Amino acid sequence: MPARNHTQWKANPGLEPGEWVDSRVYSDQTIFENEVDQIFKRVWVPLCHESELPKPYDFRTASIGGEPIIITRGPDNEVRAFLNVCPHRGMLIERRPSGSFLEGQPSGNPKRITCMFHAWQFDMKGNCVYVAREKEGYQDRLCKEDAGLRRLRCEVKFGGFVWVNLDDNPKIGLEEWAGEPFQCLRENIDAEPLEVFHYHKAIIDTNYKLWHDTNSEFYHDFMHYHNRVTGFNDAYFARKNFAFKNGHVVVGTFEVNYENYEGFESRGELSFPHLPPNQWYMVDLFPGFNFNLRGSALRCDIVTPLGPDKVMIEFRGLGLKRDTPEERQTRINHHNSIWGPFGRNLHEDLIGVAGQGTTMRPGTEPRNILHGRHENQTIHDEIGMRHYYDEWGRWMNRLPNNPDQPWQERNKEDAVAVAE
Amino acid sequence: MSWTKICKATDVAPNSLKKFWIAGGIPIVVANYGSGYAAMPPVCPHMEEPLEESGVISNCVLTCTKHLWAWNLQTLEMSGTETEKPIKTYDCKEENGDILAFVEAEILYDFDDDDDMDDDAFFNKSS
Repeated sequence: MPARNHTQWKANPGLEPGEWVDSRVYSDQTIFENEVDQIFKRVWVPLCHESELPKPYDFRTASIGGEPIIITRGPDNEVRAFLNVCPHRGMLIERRPSGSFLEGQPSGNPKRITCMFHAWQFDMKGNCVYVAREKEGYQDRLCKEDAGLRRLRCEVKFGGFVWVNLDDNPKIGLEEWAGEPFQCLRENIDAEPLEVFHYHKAIIDTNYKLWHDTNSEFYHDFMHYHNRVTGFNDAYFARKNFAFKNGHVVVGTFEVNYENYEGFESRGELSFPHLPPNQWYMVDLFPGFNFNLRGSALRCDIVTPLGPDKVMIEFRGLGLKRDTPEERQTRINHHNSIWGPFGRNLHEDLIGVAGQGTTMRPGTEPRNILHGRHENQTIHDEIGMRHYYDEWGRWMNRLPNNPDQPWQERNKEDAVAVAE
Repeated sequence: MSWTKICKATDVAPNSLKKFWIAGGIPIVVANYGSGYAAMPPVCPHMEEPLEESGVISNCVLTCTKHLWAWNLQTLEMSGTETEKPIKTYDCKEENGDILAFVEAEILYDFDDDDDMDDDAFFNKSS
């Protein structure tokens, strides 16, 4: 294939619609703002894991689409989510990433959430319990009962993750939205309580969807040199992608032969409940959440888009809450040797998407990004991305390969078949 | 239970409060208001603030400095403009240099905690 001139380079790639996207979906500021409003503020987002707030009055802060959120565990053990915004003058109420309200703060009280600005106070259910100089300032025009926090839809589900939806009336319930793709993991992650043992985050100059794209295919293992020279076998590549409604994809399992990985050992003894030894499942949820169970350790990636070319990815590793210290250490070793910041794969995956982010900065010329590999739904097949961008097009009312045009349903024979 | 020794009278300086635990793990704060002693649960009835840290005593009046709720410890009347609830105390006396309180059961305050509304009902409220 000879090199191409500008006209040739910009031409359509000669694939079917749906088999490529316009790079503006990764670089355009307006498209990014639409994604925040039309997707992230309307879908269920796993913000953290319930083990991160284990005791009554524990809290964790996070955000969706730039809106600050606080998650609390009440004295009744219920996990609830609120906008982390004071109803008085719009102050960010809680500034710490996590902690406990059990002990009083210098400007607060035990068991209450206190806005440090003017000392308005709230309980774990979001009730306003104190307005400073209420009678003097508001006479009887406004009172505590009018000044509660904004509560958000919040459910603890699918292995104990805390799911929040900014939309009071989401168009689909959490179970209906993600229950089917999680079916393959449910008996493993819901058998007993899990616990987060690893957390780190990366802020990468790239588009959030490029991270999800990477998680949606495995033939980028050509980038993972050590995997390639020691870990590959036919079963690895024979795994299949299964598309589920709502844009989700599951990668089927196979038995990993860790003895073939230089310096690795079998993980069979610490398998998650009901999981055959050394199996590996992966759930990719639209619009960017990934659950990856490699035998003894569960990894979860949560993306928070910060701009068209900036994403925060939070990485969590989870084991069983009942782990002995020895079991936990082994699980951590298993997790970190592959997925830790200095593990076998993760930094290489980040190099991949950072390189894409470099070529697709805002303002760069639109070009075609190909998602056209068909290999019988195996992990070489880009079915996961095609399925994702069909869903993206519906939420955005934009054609992924021509985002100025409204979404049109793809021909039935071209559309990705959804698993039943 | 009955009259229980909490501490020595000299353990609590005038115009100060100190927290003690008696048998059964019951926490009791003793206040020395100069002309006498009071024994009470260890938290402010407003928002559970630990009184031995937040309480200030002056002219027999105990004030919780967080939101200025206040009570006269001699008469147990509410004091100031902010106070919305009375303070609860144990009967208390000084005997042979000891402070004794009459403790039948731990005195607790009822901090409002209304029941949750069903999610769908809550998120569909129009006003």
